[in-house]
Amino acid sequence: MNDLLTKFSHRILSDRKLTQLLVIAVITFSSFSLLSKDIFFSGSNFTSMAYQIPEIAILSMAVMLSMLTGGIDLSIVAISNAAALVAAYIMTHHEYAKGENVYLWILFSCLIGIVVGLLCGLVNSVLISILEVTPILATLATLTLFNGIAIGATGGKANSGLPEEFLRLGNGTFLGIPTPFIIMLIVAGILGIFVNRSGIGLKIFLIGTNRKAAQYSVMGDRKVIAITYLVSALLSSIAGLVIASRTSAASPDFGSSYILLAIVIVVLGGVNPNGGFGTITGVVVATAVLQFVSSGFNALRFSQFFYLISQGAVLILVMVLNVLVDRGLSARSKSKAIGN
Amino acid sequence: MNKSFLKKLFGRYEVLLLAAIIVFSLIIGIKSPAFFSLANLFDIFRSSVVQLIFALGVLIVIVSGGIDVSFPVLGIFAGYATVVLMKKQNFGADNIWIPILIAIAIGVLLGAINAMAIAGFGIPTLIATLGTAGIFRGFMLSYIGSSFISDIPIALDKFATSDLLKVQVENQPLARLHILIIPVTLLVIAISLMLNRTMFGRSIYALGGGVEPTRRLGMGVRRIQTKIYLLVGGLSGLAGILYVSLQRKANPYDLAGSELDVIAAVVLGGASIMGGYGTVTGTVLGVILINLIKGNLILLGVSGSWQRAAVGLLLLIGVTGQAISEVRKRKRARMTAALEEANL
Amino acid sequence: MATQYGVENIVKSFGGAKALSGVSLSIKPGEIHCLAGENGSGKSTLIKVMSGVHSPDAGVIYLGEKTFESLNPRQAVQEGVQVIFQDFSLLPNLTVAENIALPAFISAKNKMFNKNEAKRIADEAIELIGVDLDPNALVAEISIASKQLVAIARALNAGVKMLFMDEATTALTRKEIKKLFTVVEGLKQRGVATVFVSHKIDEVQEICNTITVLRNGKVAAEGLMKDFNRQTISSAMTGQNISESRLLIEAPKANKKALEVSKLTSLGAFKDINFDIKPGEILGITGLLGSGRSELAEAIFGMHPVDVGSISVNGNRLKLNSAKASLKAGIGYVPSDRLTQGLFLEQSILRNMTAVGIENFQNRIGLLSVSNIRNSAKKWINDLRIKTQNSENPVTSLSGGNQQRVVLAKWLAVNPHIMILNGPTVGVDVGSKREILEIIRDRASEGMSFLIVSDDIPELIQICHRVGVIKNGMLEKFFEENQLDEISIYKELA
Repeated sequence: MNDLLTKFSHRILSDRKLTQLLVIAVITFSSFSLLSKDIFFSGSNFTSMAYQIPEIAILSMAVMLSMLTGGIDLSIVAISNAAALVAAYIMTHHEYAKGENVYLWILFSCLIGIVVGLLCGLVNSVLISILEVTPILATLATLTLFNGIAIGATGGKANSGLPEEFLRLGNGTFLGIPTPFIIMLIVAGILGIFVNRSGIGLKIFLIGTNRKAAQYSVMGDRKVIAITYLVSALLSSIAGLVIASRTSAASPDFGSSYILLAIVIVVLGGVNPNGGFGTITGVVVATAVLQFVSSGFNALRFSQFFYLISQGAVLILVMVLNVLVDRGLSARSKSKAIGN
Repeated sequence: MNKSFLKKLFGRYEVLLLAAIIVFSLIIGIKSPAFFSLANLFDIFRSSVVQLIFALGVLIVIVSGGIDVSFPVLGIFAGYATVVLMKKQNFGADNIWIPILIAIAIGVLLGAINAMAIAGFGIPTLIATLGTAGIFRGFMLSYIGSSFISDIPIALDKFATSDLLKVQVENQPLARLHILIIPVTLLVIAISLMLNRTMFGRSIYALGGGVEPTRRLGMGVRRIQTKIYLLVGGLSGLAGILYVSLQRKANPYDLAGSELDVIAAVVLGGASIMGGYGTVTGTVLGVILINLIKGNLILLGVSGSWQRAAVGLLLLIGVTGQAISEVRKRKRARMTAALEEANL
Repeated sequence: MATQYGVENIVKSFGGAKALSGVSLSIKPGEIHCLAGENGSGKSTLIKVMSGVHSPDAGVIYLGEKTFESLNPRQAVQEGVQVIFQDFSLLPNLTVAENIALPAFISAKNKMFNKNEAKRIADEAIELIGVDLDPNALVAEISIASKQLVAIARALNAGVKMLFMDEATTALTRKEIKKLFTVVEGLKQRGVATVFVSHKIDEVQEICNTITVLRNGKVAAEGLMKDFNRQTISSAMTGQNISESRLLIEAPKANKKALEVSKLTSLGAFKDINFDIKPGEILGITGLLGSGRSELAEAIFGMHPVDVGSISVNGNRLKLNSAKASLKAGIGYVPSDRLTQGLFLEQSILRNMTAVGIENFQNRIGLLSVSNIRNSAKKWINDLRIKTQNSENPVTSLSGGNQQRVVLAKWLAVNPHIMILNGPTVGVDVGSKREILEIIRDRASEGMSFLIVSDDIPELIQICHRVGVIKNGMLEKFFEENQLDEISIYKELA
């Protein structure tokens, strides 16, 4: 066990960006805990953070996945809203007969929501891997299209009045832990296995590093990229359902600021925007850091918008730090390379 | 007229856009003759003018190979801060030039922060502007104000209804052409000239074509980038204050979130997201096409709530078409090479 | 002293490592000089010193009548030093005219840009070098050879007195090289000092008057080109008389065919290609640049389009134009450009070695066995004698020769019947080269068939059972084992 632990800590410490991020996480957490002993460092604050982190963490994982292949998926929020709307529609437009198993119907609604989300993902896959549209353009177009269809179909109105049983998913606890947090952990765990232990996961990293070399290694790069955008859509759909159940509504306009926030988190989490490198741990930790900052400022009664400033400032600072360290490193490796 | 001229003409993306605009107009007009009114034409201009100015800034950034997502926040920051400043200090309320100049100055100042992050530290443009957008917005809402101002300075308020001409056609609503048509037309021409006829303009294209070759040419890459983000800051500031004026109120929550829509219009206008390609004409047509559809879908008997879907569909067709023609071009290049070889 | 261009006793170190230690070089106006040396010999550092990118630690640079202790890029351009890089450094989204004329506008510190003026300047420059270029065409849409001419026209327009051409002939066909030489002869008449910088001297030998060979940051040899031959240049470059003894094993006797190619045609690249390879046989194919040799190699692997013909592996007809089908049939391919096509540079050695055979390490539900991957990597690092401490290190930490072995390992790991190698030892040091050839020989003795496409004829003679010569897309002449000698193959090539 101890051996496993040292091995694990060695792996994490060998990743410079992750170490850096963990240090930032510890610093933010402990300074807010010191500054606000009774509000920030309190059970109720931890609980409320545990309800807020999961949805954005799952969306960020979706962005991370496409970014690992060297692309980007801007349509995540549109897809998550689409999935939530469809599920909510089915849930609320059903006459529940007496004695009928409500959970079964909710499960069915969620599955249909996910299927719709996957269909949206399929559109992205076809555009990007078959028609060779640049990912940022393809998903910019589908973002507008999916969002537009959702607005058109709902007339822009939110769908509320979701069944009580469904709301438990987003507001309940399991063994004292908020359910959304557990869902996030499960998703992160499965995604971790998919990315780090599966053949397709390895291919994602390789394709993101050098697409041409991937073609010469005959690893079916188009297929892998198509799968990536499908998985991204799957994650988005799950996030959408979590959001709907936490907020007890599905809306075509929910969380449009989440796209850019997810990109901030992913970059902060150490994912290389050009592809090939990144960890799920990094993304989850980065989400937590931003949540600490947000809750911390709240606890300290700073203006709620101060959070926006610090979010931007953290991003810029981390990037500047990376640039400076990279410059230092490349200067050193240059002299080493010539030495050979 | 020879064949290759025709081919060249129709090969140009701008011509395609213009054709699309004409076809849409005809369809809408046939379905609903009310479309062909001066009032409607002038309204399309009024509703797209702010977006057009933002789009010009976005075009410049995209041509240089970057992406800016901070411009709407930057714009509303400049517009809102100007109004707050003028009201607090109680000056210049009856002069339209004062708010415009202040807003542009604020825009340039904020642009300088973008320039510092991008040219100074070499942070990728998308990430840098994501960060600064958060900082700008948070700063504005925390320190400048977060409440809606409805009594904006009088000159700004009046400017909203300053029309160049009013035309009353029988049985039709009063057609008002806003005075902005003149300065904005001049601005469009100026940006176009700047891009094509000045060394700064060509260096923007050069940068989009490749950073390393541009550097080797002896053009200072950082200097070009700095100038770009100062200019785009100024343009966004201008758009922001005009937005406030035309809305006749200053709402600090406005505009944020519209960045992707403007980028979409510029991309639809034919600018390459990879940098190096894009024209002012295309951008103007892209903005017009999007606003034409947005504003007149209802005349086609489609509910207004579908306008975003229509824009999405249009964009989807646009980007897919561009991608397919790119693949075709590559295939054709091999065949021509083969034919050339055979002829030799 | 007469007008001369060059350097004297230049020293340049990077963080303690000497890239140039006391290099002197002198070129007269109107001279065509060859600067030869292997990768890492200091050629590119020397160019960067003369074009003002690096300032030397010691020594002087003299340009015409002036001498400098160091230059900045602007000064270098003012004094007429121009470098044409391998990638030409052109802007693809601008027109030919703009690419040629922009430097003139920049050095005149113009604020405005005048299209007609640019076209006039470009026309003038194009006429000077006497070629046919459309000034209004976008650079993205012209051929590679034309791009090079644009780069030359641009240099000429900027008042070039000393022109460096970095690996100028690499991407050109024979015909295009001829045209380039005519243009360079023209520059010579104008008194421009031209330097061809190359690690392949064969192609520029005929046009150069003088030569300098660099090795480890020092001048290893210099003199008149006519006093040198291939052998003397190459021993000056490598510093050793390479053992070029044959590594061959006995040719397989069996009458089976591992690979059979018939009537293979790809428009614009090659036509009507017929040959076969026996199990355990090593077939070499050589040809000049643009002869179609590289396209043929890629076509058999399914990466270059084939229009007509057929390929069979062990008697089974192969689906054409599909790398997937080729892989399945047991064909492996080591591409010509290791850095962009062969490797995932920033990824670990381990991941690189797994890249082709990922499926072999998967279980039923698609999960990878990490221990199997590690063991396999360990085995290949051992077998191919790859010098590394840790298979988790990125490939960038390896030398060229070891990197190439990683690409080989990636393919050997899936145990193909037929390996196609495109330039297997390009940019690999001499010792490593021999070891790579030995690896090939050992695999062949175990029955693996090889197709080696290369322009390195001594290497082919060293290792191949047979060598075919491809010329203008046609593969007609084969040299059997007993006919293999350098001179006759060179004769056939020319």
